[in-house]
Amino acid sequence: MKKILLLLSVLLLVSIQLFAAGAQEQKAQQPVTLSVMWFNDANESDVFLATIADYLAANPHVKLDMQVVAFADYEQKLKLMISGGNPPDVARVTNNHLAALISSLEPIDGYVADINAVKAQFMPASVAFALDDAGKLRAYPTEATANGMIVNKTAFAKAGIDVVALSKTWTWDSWEQAVRKVIAANDKIKYGLALDFTPHRFSTMMFQMGGRFLNENQTAMGFNNPGTIAAIEQFKRYHDTGLIPKSVWLGSENPAELFQAGLVASHIGGSWNINTYNKNVKDFEWVVVANPKGAINSSVPGGKFIASFKDSKNKVEAQKLMAAFSDKAHNEMYCRDTFNLSSRVDAQVQYPSNMADFATFKSDLEKTPPFTANEWKHPVVNKVSAYIREQIVEVLLGNITAQQAVKNVDVKGATFF
Amino acid sequence: MNKQYPFKLILQYIIILLLAAATLFPVFWVAISSFKPQSELFRFPMSFLPDEWTLENYQNALSQGNFLLYFSNTVFVAVVATLITVMINIMSGYALAKYRFPGRNIIFYAMIATLMIPLQVIMISIFLQLKRLGMLNSLWGIIIPPAATPTGIFLARQYMVNLPDSMIESARLDGGKEFTIFWRIIIPLSKPIIATIAIFSFMWRWNDYLWPLIVITDNRKQTVQQALANFVGQLQINWSNLLAMTTISIIPVILVFLTFQRFFMTGITSGSVKG
Amino acid sequence: MKSKRQKGNFHQILAPLLFLLPNMFIFLVFIIVPAFQGLRMSLMDWGVFTDPVFIGFRNFAELLQDSVFWVTFVNTIVFSVSVVGLMVVSSLILALLLKRNTLTGERVFRAVFYIPSLLSMIAVGIAWRFILGDEMGVMNYLMRSMGGPGVPWLTSGRLAMMSVIFVSVWAGSGYYMVIFISGLQAIPTELYEAARIDGSSSWNTFWLITIPLLKSTLLVVVVLGTIASFKAYELIFAMTKGGPGYATKFIVQQVYQVAFMEDRMGYASAMSIILMLLIGFFTALQFAFSGKDQSYE
Repeated sequence: MKKILLLLSVLLLVSIQLFAAGAQEQKAQQPVTLSVMWFNDANESDVFLATIADYLAANPHVKLDMQVVAFADYEQKLKLMISGGNPPDVARVTNNHLAALISSLEPIDGYVADINAVKAQFMPASVAFALDDAGKLRAYPTEATANGMIVNKTAFAKAGIDVVALSKTWTWDSWEQAVRKVIAANDKIKYGLALDFTPHRFSTMMFQMGGRFLNENQTAMGFNNPGTIAAIEQFKRYHDTGLIPKSVWLGSENPAELFQAGLVASHIGGSWNINTYNKNVKDFEWVVVANPKGAINSSVPGGKFIASFKDSKNKVEAQKLMAAFSDKAHNEMYCRDTFNLSSRVDAQVQYPSNMADFATFKSDLEKTPPFTANEWKHPVVNKVSAYIREQIVEVLLGNITAQQAVKNVDVKGATFF
Repeated sequence: MNKQYPFKLILQYIIILLLAAATLFPVFWVAISSFKPQSELFRFPMSFLPDEWTLENYQNALSQGNFLLYFSNTVFVAVVATLITVMINIMSGYALAKYRFPGRNIIFYAMIATLMIPLQVIMISIFLQLKRLGMLNSLWGIIIPPAATPTGIFLARQYMVNLPDSMIESARLDGGKEFTIFWRIIIPLSKPIIATIAIFSFMWRWNDYLWPLIVITDNRKQTVQQALANFVGQLQINWSNLLAMTTISIIPVILVFLTFQRFFMTGITSGSVKG
Repeated sequence: MKSKRQKGNFHQILAPLLFLLPNMFIFLVFIIVPAFQGLRMSLMDWGVFTDPVFIGFRNFAELLQDSVFWVTFVNTIVFSVSVVGLMVVSSLILALLLKRNTLTGERVFRAVFYIPSLLSMIAVGIAWRFILGDEMGVMNYLMRSMGGPGVPWLTSGRLAMMSVIFVSVWAGSGYYMVIFISGLQAIPTELYEAARIDGSSSWNTFWLITIPLLKSTLLVVVVLGTIASFKAYELIFAMTKGGPGYATKFIVQQVYQVAFMEDRMGYASAMSIILMLLIGFFTALQFAFSGKDQSYE
């Protein structure tokens, strides 16, 4: 018993010492300390600090208090803080967060001289995500993401296919013929395609087939349409004929891992995968290609943003910081070092490698119709998306038909309007 | 008994060893993978041992963020919370086991019932309550609210019920004060259950994620589990850091368990009480 | 009992209340008050950023018709009953193997079996995905390299349920083993000696001595195990995300999804109240079956 007490008290002493050291640092108060909330995919919070270092050096009265929260709980945590009346001064948010939180964000309009000039600096899809119902800009776009296809170039070459040339004009049919050859020609390749287990990535295929979530003017659900049904049915056929591994949508296996292992010929992920594959794929050559064409050519836009809140304590300084961070030079630096596409139209990001891959994503994004962003920014689409995922899986399991699934989704979605 | 059946003993050993191997396999897989370079993690064909052992993952994990600070925060929370939890739970367990007073059963069942509330749902109410009390972003906000654990009370009560009433009665006749009796007689007799509650509490605090999530955002106050969760992003997972940090985070709790287990497992015979 | 109260023993009432005070205060402030707010919220229609509107029992009426909820309801019961049943057996076996303090290496073995309980659920989820993954898992990799077909551990509904049950038992057995070992060591060795002299078989000794004297420990294990398994969420979500389809989706996950993704806090509160009633029902059943508790004699 004495030993326990002794051990406990030693541990306690050690931790109090360290704790006190941390507390003292805090005492050196500066005129403004901005609380900045961030989540990390890789090392974005560090890159943010490095990028903004010159601004902080020029403005010594501004200090940052970084708060890094795990992505899985990020939205929930933000909601807790907002409903409790103490949101951070600045936060990194995704397009999904914007759909849920936009009414709590501080409009940028009042803080800049010419809001239209600001809007014109960014890609239309990125701006669309950040606009509220009244057309006010409530967040600065930072990185853009594009959903798209990444292929195992080595495996295609082994089947005698020049995938880069073919992909310039391919449709889903010619894609299917090609990957079937690839599977036959490679012992290791077991599947043609892996598609991330999210409705957002599924919507790549859906938009290409002419499908959509909502009706034209977004006043009601419109999931029940020929394009969506065709996309779900094609998706099911790919599963049933062994073109897509069941383990991703049914067993929640990570498709990026399957691609890295060299088991699948192509992966529908997005621009963020460049970073991962660059680091991890050593056994084969891979390349980003254009998405196969369905009824139309389409990617799905997405992205990250930086925003301040209505109830933030230091809104003026927060807005200044955000404006500085979003200018051309800072944005280019941040996107280069986090290995992401920029949301700015004028950005000329000099990546250390993979310039062509980024260019492919960007050109796919340019072909993408703007309604895709408007659908994904709609709060109802975000609320119903978990249910959509479940219903698609029910179709894949053969429990219901695609027609039943889209009807179920429309009924469920209607309750949110 | 063992001498009589050496064959039985060997059989038991074989069973234990097989079970132990099966139990440890997933843990080993994580630990060994943490020495693989990122590019080897998802490579086919697979190999159990790394082709190329590397400490790079550990260097990265330790250099990112302020690992030492997270670690000391976690130790502080786990130790202080355990001390408080043990004290108040033993007191409650004793009151429920050895006193007869009106409402005793109601209080006992109500405390068990609080265990049934899924925390996720009342999170917002708890958050607002903590805000009102100014406990947000303070380590005390993680320590105090979950310190009263129904599990601990339940364990303490079930144990103390079996302590002999006669000792308490005779101490009372000798004019002992209620708290003195508790401190001088009950506590020494309850060492095994104290150690059990202590170890459960320490482990739970070490691994708890939900309370820090509600209470803490400040980077300087984060715990190891929060730092771990930060490695899983929206679109990418930092596998190598995650595996390395997970491995590091397991080691202290194993050491604590090995150090303490003789207090709560073998210690029980020395203080053995026969009801 | 009456004679004691007649003594008018002030200490017999005040002292226990003082002992209970710190605990009850914390419960009241941080659990009971928020929980009652949750109860009130189940009668409201509200989102995180909207003002609550009182709608009576409409949330509960809607629940009756919510087919997804009832699927998760049944899944939860199947999961919980299986996990508790298997876990009691497995942790008792471990405890019986490791109870005597004389076996060489016993302390290390206890630690080994306790290790799964030391891991955070994040770590457990990672570890088992590495093992049970369909394409990338070690198990299937070994089976396929020996020429067999893989087994859809997490991809087929039935197997996914069995997998999460198995892993939950794996993760929890060590914890309950510790409780059982404490309980087993409190059984006086003289009783075993006497049984041995009487020539009782070890099977009979187990049923006639060990089990009856372990009753209060068994109750602890069953009650705590039941409550924990009804609330299980992190581990299952990390392994299967509730899938395939609805196969391993439990009430807690549905509560979470409705509350934070669909932003229907009132409806989620109503679901969690059903969950609490369900847990309460099973726990009450266990207390009733455990019969008379020694303490109340």
